[in-house]
Amino acid sequence: MRLALHAEWTKMRTVASPLWLLLGTVAATVALSAVATSVVNCTARGCGGDTTKLSLMGVYLGQAPVAILAVLVISGEYSSGMIRTTLTAMPRRATAFAAKAITLTGVVAVGGTVAVLGAVLAGRLILPDLGDQALSLADGPTLRAVFGTVLYLILIGLLSLGIATAVRDSATSIGIVLGLLYIFPIISGTISDPDWQRLLQQIAPMSAGLAIQATTDLHSLPLSPWAGLGVTAGWATAALLAGGLLLRVRDT
Amino acid sequence: MYKNQHETTPNRKLTPMSAAEIVVAGLRKRYGATRALDGMSFTVRPGLVTGFLGPNGAGKSTTMRVILGLDAVDAGTALIEGKPYHSLRHPLNHVGSLLDAAALHPSRSARDHLLWLAHSQGLAARRVNQVIEQVGLTSAARRKAGGYSLGMRQRLGIAAALLGDPPIIMLDEPFNGMDPDGIIWMRGFLRSLAAQGRAVLVSSHLMSEVQDTADHLVVVGRGKAIADAGVADLIAAASGNRVALRTTAGTHAMRVLGHAGAAVAATGRDTITVSGLPADRIVTLLNQSAVPFSEVSAHRATLEDVYLELTRDAVEFRAATQSEVSR
Repeated sequence: MRLALHAEWTKMRTVASPLWLLLGTVAATVALSAVATSVVNCTARGCGGDTTKLSLMGVYLGQAPVAILAVLVISGEYSSGMIRTTLTAMPRRATAFAAKAITLTGVVAVGGTVAVLGAVLAGRLILPDLGDQALSLADGPTLRAVFGTVLYLILIGLLSLGIATAVRDSATSIGIVLGLLYIFPIISGTISDPDWQRLLQQIAPMSAGLAIQATTDLHSLPLSPWAGLGVTAGWATAALLAGGLLLRVRDT
Repeated sequence: MYKNQHETTPNRKLTPMSAAEIVVAGLRKRYGATRALDGMSFTVRPGLVTGFLGPNGAGKSTTMRVILGLDAVDAGTALIEGKPYHSLRHPLNHVGSLLDAAALHPSRSARDHLLWLAHSQGLAARRVNQVIEQVGLTSAARRKAGGYSLGMRQRLGIAAALLGDPPIIMLDEPFNGMDPDGIIWMRGFLRSLAAQGRAVLVSSHLMSEVQDTADHLVVVGRGKAIADAGVADLIAAASGNRVALRTTAGTHAMRVLGHAGAAVAATGRDTITVSGLPADRIVTLLNQSAVPFSEVSAHRATLEDVYLELTRDAVEFRAATQSEVSR
């Protein structure tokens, strides 16, 4: 396993695209968060809502490069045929797959932390100074939201890796992942029945997972922050299991 | 020209248990209605270059993927030094393989490609530099592999196969896309690997590519081995004890030799192939009957003849005129 991890890390660092995609995540997250926090109406009493959630809004966009990076980690090998070299060097497929997942987790954790902390910093600088209401990582719910958002990005990465391992084609995999993330909210927006709407928000990987960002009015959420992140984790686990099983039984 | 198997086999490999590096036994595999492998069996021995020959679609690449544990089979076994590939701890130290030279990340440099492979086996970066030098890629090693010509990619693939200094080297169509210089280099390289005592398995669909390189041939057709023999044995078997005769009086000669008990066949406008009589007896008979002739020689089949004969029924897609074209 140590050797497989070393090999996967060498692969990751010897091409430029992972670094660029992680920088894309940082840029997209910070930029969207900056826009969101600068257009909000603030009064002396507050900004009329959840400023932590608002500051972390950038991950709506920042998750897309993470998903693409995760897909390319494996689909790039299928498109070139290099997957055969990988599995010849590491014939234990479960080990090879786990090494990919762990390496991905590591780089997304680093990139995601930079992105999320950048977004929080942007929020602090842009939102008016409200004294005790200012964003602070010392605040329990805010810390949970920040930490949880990094976990959310990791889970999106693992979900994408699992789907791409099952599907094997880059374009199809990216389409499926982005569809899964962005189409659920669009559908739930067009549904008028509140029960169905609530259900969709509870099962969709993005809207459920991003419940982790909420710091106010927790009782009015479709599901609690950690339960929401648990739903995303369920999606990621299912995708990894499907991808891992197919990798083990399929010819390459 | 062809070395005897026993001369080139190093002494350390003489015990029967370690005699064969790769043992393929009874492989069967179906893709839907297509039988890709239909009882494929052969062995690959150390110190020899084994040519793995057959028409496209005969099952060569599938067999190689099965040996490397990439494809599963419905029946049969493929063992490396007595063990299945997936149970090897550092597989590249046992088998070096090149299946597809294009299977690279185009924006990773050749050196970095070899580096991750080295890391996967616990090998040091120093070994990467050694194999790069060995295949003559030192000046291009830091360039992106996507910009390599096919010949350079083949060299990079060979470098990857050599990385773990394995006793077995397995190459799928390594001559494809190589220029004449590259082909000559590859031949010498394969010979030197075998001379070092390694078992070398090289697939090709063209006899001409391997005939001066291989010691042993496994000819496959329709998913099974149809010949598994030394090059010299194959030629001898195909040649028989036949004598080629060149004469302008073909009919007369055939009658005379036929009376003497030989089997005679006209093989050209003025050539006859005779079997069942030694050459000196043929000369005597022809002189006695005053049949003019210009040449008597031992008929010697070429490997190309052997190959075409063996695979005649095994070619999956044959153009109607191919036999004419190939003459």
